[in-house]
Amino acid sequence: MRADAAIQQYRKQPRHSRKPKKGGMNLNLTSMIDVIFLLLVYFVVTASFAEDEGVLTARLPQQKGETEQTRETPPPTQPLRIILRSSGQAGVDISVPGASRVGNFSELQATLDGLMLDADRGKRGIFEPDHPVLIQPDGQVRWDHVVNAFNAAIAARFSNVRFVPAGEGA
Amino acid sequence: MASQVFKRGPVKAEMNITPLIDVVFLLIVFFMLVNKIVSDETVPMMVPLLNDPMTRELGEVERVVVNMPSRSGNRVEPGESPSARDPNAGFVQVGTTQRFDPGDLAGITAAVAAARESAEQRGAANVEVVLRADTALFYEVVRPILDAITDAGVETVHLTALLPESGAQDAVFPGGG
Repeated sequence: MRADAAIQQYRKQPRHSRKPKKGGMNLNLTSMIDVIFLLLVYFVVTASFAEDEGVLTARLPQQKGETEQTRETPPPTQPLRIILRSSGQAGVDISVPGASRVGNFSELQATLDGLMLDADRGKRGIFEPDHPVLIQPDGQVRWDHVVNAFNAAIAARFSNVRFVPAGEGA
Repeated sequence: MASQVFKRGPVKAEMNITPLIDVVFLLIVFFMLVNKIVSDETVPMMVPLLNDPMTRELGEVERVVVNMPSRSGNRVEPGESPSARDPNAGFVQVGTTQRFDPGDLAGITAAVAAARESAEQRGAANVEVVLRADTALFYEVVRPILDAITDAGVETVHLTALLPESGAQDAVFPGGG
């Protein structure tokens, strides 16, 4: 066994050489390894906590908190509306006035994509990418569907997506 | 009985407890920090799972997180259907500690404004507001909170949803996919 061999080796040495040499320095690495290992574990674990959540940046529905820059934007005359109605059982009916029936959020994204006018990408719709898109949900629509509709508009590369202001529409 | 190695006498058994102290101390710090940072700012809930998500990570910015968990409770059971969850908010939490009744809009507005102000005093140039709302909430429950955040002088809000690479496939609503 290796330990026994080490002991034998130790015994064979002349007694005076068993003592550590004067002035020799021994660095105890154990504590440092402990600390480094735990720091490593710390960063690995904390990095994995918030990893699966991301954000969609949205403009708020009311226009009170806006800066001068955004206030100067003229109010849109005819925004593109995405209307969400609760269909019971936590389901949702999606409709886009002026477009064909939309069954789910993939179709909504495809519909919005078809409505976009962007010559650079070969899109021949009627709405520019910065045309205002309004999300107009019922009160009983689940938040999941609202965020999904928002996401579909962002995925179709509309840049000016917001929620319908209070007192308008719904 | 004399030792096999040290013939002169019995071995003195001494334990080097320095590494043990290091480890224990660091474990304590570890759990304190993890509990403080993670659970205080992000209340456990089910955030929306998107179809073809365009979500991105917010990165290292100064943020005020507004949490709106469902009244079904904080715990999310694995495999739980989101449509079975309560569509009303249990409470609204601004930042790490302040909890409000969902009807206390003035309190929420004041808390968001105060949190932004204190972050700005610490030298943060841009303070972002993150809204973490449970996937099962009704829009009519979330809407007043959006307005309350607006009243605090906020222009844009970041809506939390799952990132594209997350593997939570069981949290799908009917009619959504």
